[in-house]
Amino acid sequence: MYNILVVDDDKEIVNAIEIYLSQEGYHIIKAYDGEEALEKLKENEIHLIILDIMMPNKDGLETLQEIRKDKTIPVIMLSAKSEDYDKISGLNTGADDYVTKPFNPLELIARVKSNIRRYVDFSHVNYATENTKLQKEKVLKTGALEINDETKKVMVDGKEIKLTATEYNILKFLLKNKGKVYSIEQIYENVWNEESYGAENIIAVHIRHIREKIEINPKEPKYLKVIWGIGYKVEDIK
Amino acid sequence: MKESTLLKFLCYVSIPIMIFVLVISMINVSITSQYGEMQGPEEYVETEEFGMEYLETLIYNVKAIKRDKQQIKEVGENQTISYESATEYTTDTSYRYYREIEDESYAYPVYYEVENYNNTRISRYINYIIIDKENGNMFTNIKSNNYPEEINKLKTEKTNWNYQDGNIATNIDSINEESAKYFTSSYNSINNFEGYEIYSNINPSTLTYSNSLYIQQVVYNMFKGHENLPTYLIPLSTILLITMIVYLIWATGHEKGKKEIQLNSIDKISYELVSIVIMFVIGMVMSFALASIESQIPQKILVSVFLLCYLIGYACLAVWVSTTIRRLKAKQFIRSFTTYKVCRWVKVTIKKITDKENSNRKMTILYWGFILISMILACTMWSGIGVFVLIAFWIWTFYKLLQYNKKVQKINEALRNIYEGNPNVKLNEEELEGTLKIMAKYINDIAGGFTNAIEQSLKSERLKTELITNVSHDIKTPLTSIINYVDLLKKQEINNAQIEQYIAILDKKSQRLKKLIEDLVEASKVSSGNVKLNMEIINLKELLNQTVGEFEDKLEKKNLKLEMDLPNENVRIKADNRYLYRVIENVFSNISKYALEGSRVYIKLEEQKDEVYLEFKNISKDKLNISAEELMQRFVRGDKSRYTEGSGLGLSIAESLTELQGGNFKIDIDGDLFKVEITWKKEH
Repeated sequence: MYNILVVDDDKEIVNAIEIYLSQEGYHIIKAYDGEEALEKLKENEIHLIILDIMMPNKDGLETLQEIRKDKTIPVIMLSAKSEDYDKISGLNTGADDYVTKPFNPLELIARVKSNIRRYVDFSHVNYATENTKLQKEKVLKTGALEINDETKKVMVDGKEIKLTATEYNILKFLLKNKGKVYSIEQIYENVWNEESYGAENIIAVHIRHIREKIEINPKEPKYLKVIWGIGYKVEDIK
Repeated sequence: MKESTLLKFLCYVSIPIMIFVLVISMINVSITSQYGEMQGPEEYVETEEFGMEYLETLIYNVKAIKRDKQQIKEVGENQTISYESATEYTTDTSYRYYREIEDESYAYPVYYEVENYNNTRISRYINYIIIDKENGNMFTNIKSNNYPEEINKLKTEKTNWNYQDGNIATNIDSINEESAKYFTSSYNSINNFEGYEIYSNINPSTLTYSNSLYIQQVVYNMFKGHENLPTYLIPLSTILLITMIVYLIWATGHEKGKKEIQLNSIDKISYELVSIVIMFVIGMVMSFALASIESQIPQKILVSVFLLCYLIGYACLAVWVSTTIRRLKAKQFIRSFTTYKVCRWVKVTIKKITDKENSNRKMTILYWGFILISMILACTMWSGIGVFVLIAFWIWTFYKLLQYNKKVQKINEALRNIYEGNPNVKLNEEELEGTLKIMAKYINDIAGGFTNAIEQSLKSERLKTELITNVSHDIKTPLTSIINYVDLLKKQEINNAQIEQYIAILDKKSQRLKKLIEDLVEASKVSSGNVKLNMEIINLKELLNQTVGEFEDKLEKKNLKLEMDLPNENVRIKADNRYLYRVIENVFSNISKYALEGSRVYIKLEEQKDEVYLEFKNISKDKLNISAEELMQRFVRGDKSRYTEGSGLGLSIAESLTELQGGNFKIDIDGDLFKVEITWKKEH
């Protein structure tokens, strides 16, 4: 049972989030401004915080600064501010994720799950990787995305993802060369070992499919990024 | 002290007196050292001055006779010159009229002097008979019946001077045989008498002093008995004179209670006019005074005439000097020249004319002025300097034209800047003149207006964007609840088809509202240029393929078939890849929404000479009863109300974004054919 602190001055939004997350088995603690959130954080053991930015008394960013002084718990910013500038300042202040209003409930749930799994499970994951030292070379990973080339399993936030053979090969190639940008042509030549004549948009379709499977929001991918007009890359995340 | 009118008046009055005292003292000193005391004409005859004048008169006469003789020769020796036909013969210095008269006692022709305009004073007192030894002709001013007797009289009577056979016989000591040795060289004169016999005398009692001598005599008499006085008067009057002159120079123009130099009415008259009038008067007075010395006016009034001339001359000079000094002191000297005023007027008038907006008149004046000056200079070509001046003038004119052109260029540049949309120009109006100055002023005003207008419109666009962004935040919060609770409702088991249908509508509309707000914010940001661009080289072909990959399922759902015509090579352009994707994405999104289901969509990418050309063609699902321009306007969609998808802002955003990145976005509607043409500068 994980405790999630939901902070928003709009009570209906807090209630809606409570409904969604309770259905997923989380316990919700509610707060309606920054000050209250900090108090609730002191009183309870909290595993994740969903934090609005525009709030009375103490706004989201100030509250986040306070939290980050001594806590590493995952924080998801939830704001109507959707400018790049707002997202960047939120993430720079120490947020783990940024969801804009009006949000898709499924996306919010997915992000909550992903963050909790990473935060809670990673403290134990270390052993697991120790035990499978032998397989270590066979495992390719970035952030919470990993491929085990031995078992051909793809895991995101500890959850297995089913990919087709082609999708698996493309992802494996990109993950193996994570951080580097490859054009469609290069990807085709490397994966199929032949000229890509006329097959370009097939690759693009495959990559969209991969994104739809591994990303919470395929339009704002975290792992498999589209560099428009240049190519694709898998982000190198520690 | 310098303001005292009385003192100044005293000075003005005293100065002529002092000068008078000084001059007569000096004259007295010079005459006492020269002549000593003189009693009457008898003593005057003894003076050297008298002797010289006497001799000079005779020389004039002989010179005149020599001339006349020449003339007579030309007429013919046998002819006589009658009284009636008395001819005027001119010599260097005198006019004489002779008449031939008959004298039986003398064998040769006798010419009697009828009229004489000799300019020596003494000539009218001298009686003479001059005989030309060559032909025996006699010239005389004595009327007689027996000339040989007259000759004898002249030889003996009174004070006489005779010249016969190269010898001088006289009782005038200063010009006797002995003294002649000394003065011949200086007068070069005794030789003139060769070939002539001269008999002459003068009656001293008929003689008066020469005027200058008379004046000297008057002066002498004034100091008679006080011979030492001038010794004191000269230094005293000199010191007083200098003092008074210095005082007047210092004090003139100052008046009681006034700080500035006071100018009187004379000081305000043109300096040239004053100078010319005064110089003329002084000149007249001086020449009158000088002439009166030589003239035969009664000596009794001579002194008065002299004094009057002197006073008039002094007054004029005093006025002239004092006005000059006052003008200098008031710093009005140059300005009071009429020449200066005329020059200024000419300058101002030229400036006035050239400053006028009527540049035609200016051009006319300048052009014909140039021609005129060139012609005048060309006329002086004969002197070597004229050529140089003319060439220099031409070079100067050329230089001026170049300078003018340079200024025109500056204005042109400023105009080009404004034309190119950079109104931050400021022309220095001071550097320019005439029409150019006015032009510069207008340009500056226009540029200022533009800059202002642009700033204003940018500011208002920014404010609009801010407003829209802020409002969108406020709309998004309640919208979140709507969307969420609709979603929760959707999950409820409701066994009522109608309610489910209502909920579906709510869901759809709330999603549309969300999209609308997002597009609105983006459109306002993009159209106000409130977007930070990160330009880099992009492969448009890759981007098209990627986008196709993104839209593959959506197109498939509508059964749209893509016909892609892409070049084999990569197509590079410079753009911000995210915003470029937004452009292509919006076009694809538009196609997927509004293309006729089951039709073909043509995409063509072409590399032209300098441009990259991208074309999308599709068949519209509905009749496009609207122009391309209207379609591009915000909130206007192909069909004004029937569609529920999208905000109608997509193409407008695409256009603004393309233009922000330096491309060109164009829509073409031909019946049901919907065409999007995007061109971009090619990057190598």
